[in-house]
Amino acid sequence: MYNSIKEIVTAANETGKTIAELTIEQECQLSGKSRDEIWQRMTVNLQTMQAAVQRGESGRGVFSQTHLTGGEAVKIKNYRASHHPLSGDVMMAAVQGAIATNEVNAAMGVVCATPTAGSSGTLPGILFMLKERLSLTKKQMIDFLFTAGGVGLVIANHAGIAGATGGCQAEVGSASAMGAAAAVEAANGTPEQSAQAMSIAISNLLGLVCDPIAGLVEIPCVKRNAIGAGNALIAADMALAGCTSKIPTDECIMAMDKVGRGLPASLRETGIGGLAGTPTGQAIKARIFGNEV
Amino acid sequence: MGAKFRSVFDIIGPTMIGPSSSHTAGAVAIGRAAYKLFNGPIRKVTVYYYESFAKTHRGHGTDYAIAAGVQGFAPDDSRVPRAVELARQHGIDIRFVEEEGPSPIHHPNTAVLEVSNDNHSIELTACSIGGGSIEIRQFVIDNITVQPAGPLPIIVYIDHGKKHPNAVELTGVVEKIAPFYRKQSLKGPINDIYEFDIKNYMSAATIQQIEKQFKNVICL
Repeated sequence: MYNSIKEIVTAANETGKTIAELTIEQECQLSGKSRDEIWQRMTVNLQTMQAAVQRGESGRGVFSQTHLTGGEAVKIKNYRASHHPLSGDVMMAAVQGAIATNEVNAAMGVVCATPTAGSSGTLPGILFMLKERLSLTKKQMIDFLFTAGGVGLVIANHAGIAGATGGCQAEVGSASAMGAAAAVEAANGTPEQSAQAMSIAISNLLGLVCDPIAGLVEIPCVKRNAIGAGNALIAADMALAGCTSKIPTDECIMAMDKVGRGLPASLRETGIGGLAGTPTGQAIKARIFGNEV
Repeated sequence: MGAKFRSVFDIIGPTMIGPSSSHTAGAVAIGRAAYKLFNGPIRKVTVYYYESFAKTHRGHGTDYAIAAGVQGFAPDDSRVPRAVELARQHGIDIRFVEEEGPSPIHHPNTAVLEVSNDNHSIELTACSIGGGSIEIRQFVIDNITVQPAGPLPIIVYIDHGKKHPNAVELTGVVEKIAPFYRKQSLKGPINDIYEFDIKNYMSAATIQQIEKQFKNVICL
């Protein structure tokens, strides 16, 4: 099993294989399952993601039981149809897919956790935008998910992917780094550029806190997936342009782990600090659960 | 030692009903581990939450997730959100306790489950490490305390009446089809428990083979 991003990049350079291919081979080896079986399982995950995005973007959109979140993916869709978004249509297309997915998650719909449910919008937001932008085939879309998952495994094992242990940088930050690496590969960048994109993406979200209002996965979680997707595209474009991070990816991951451990518990998925601790955050909590929690 | 996350599908997946992979899907997995270890009709469940679990279990749906798990549901089962009512309808007395102190296993997403019926009780201490993955840090069966390495898969064998000293035959099979990095033998007054920490995820066929060939083996 690849123990670092450096090992993955080295293996990709030596064999001429993509990160997606190396991840598929690793999965075959670790699980003892056939390539077909693994491919099929990832296809189901892709279908789940697609269904969630479509659901979030259709009609008036979906709304959570609390009505704290919902309907905003549709607002973005309508805005895109009638305006030229300031950050460009492609950027807002990614944001739309990200928000749609997390609105479905907040409404207790079916999502694919990538790497977590709270950060489940980031990757589909990037992927379905790239599908249009780069005319990706289904095979390329599944490769995108294997690339993202392959590098995500290294982050998960060396820093973590739980908001309660590492803050939101571990969730949306990890998703953004995974998406950046996979976006570079989808755009025919080099493995080294994928690693650079990861470094930039991680560095830009380092320290992001996990502060869910009322302990729900709604505010600010849904909109944080917008920055996860946007940050990934910025990092991918910078890496494809030849920008470099200076700090190696594996050291960025180490920094993420240390920053996460250094965050106070109030900013690690306890619903106490950050936005959850604001007067409005506390008032929402009291309205939903009463004062006893 | 095995890595905590060992499959690309730990990262891309699971397919699940929201809202949180650690506090919902992971909590279902913790409940399911208790369901498998108990291995009989459950009448009473008490869940003790620590740290992040104690602070956010209501908003994250952790209660119904654990209730779903102890009834053997999968994370994407549509009954998951109604699992607390369903448990009570089926005569399971399920309670949730928010602990103020630190987690006994030093993890912010910790749940301790006491599961019982009139004849039998077990205790399970587990944590949810993100993306729906869990670690099992301790369980107590027949007054025997077992502390696995943590990450799944784990194979547990309860040797009722100490009929298979050192579980020689089972160990041979496990070594061959599901290599392990640690085996523990725990001796009780009446029963012995053997616990194996397995290196890689097991296929459904491997699990089926082990459970078919040996009685009282639980694959977590």
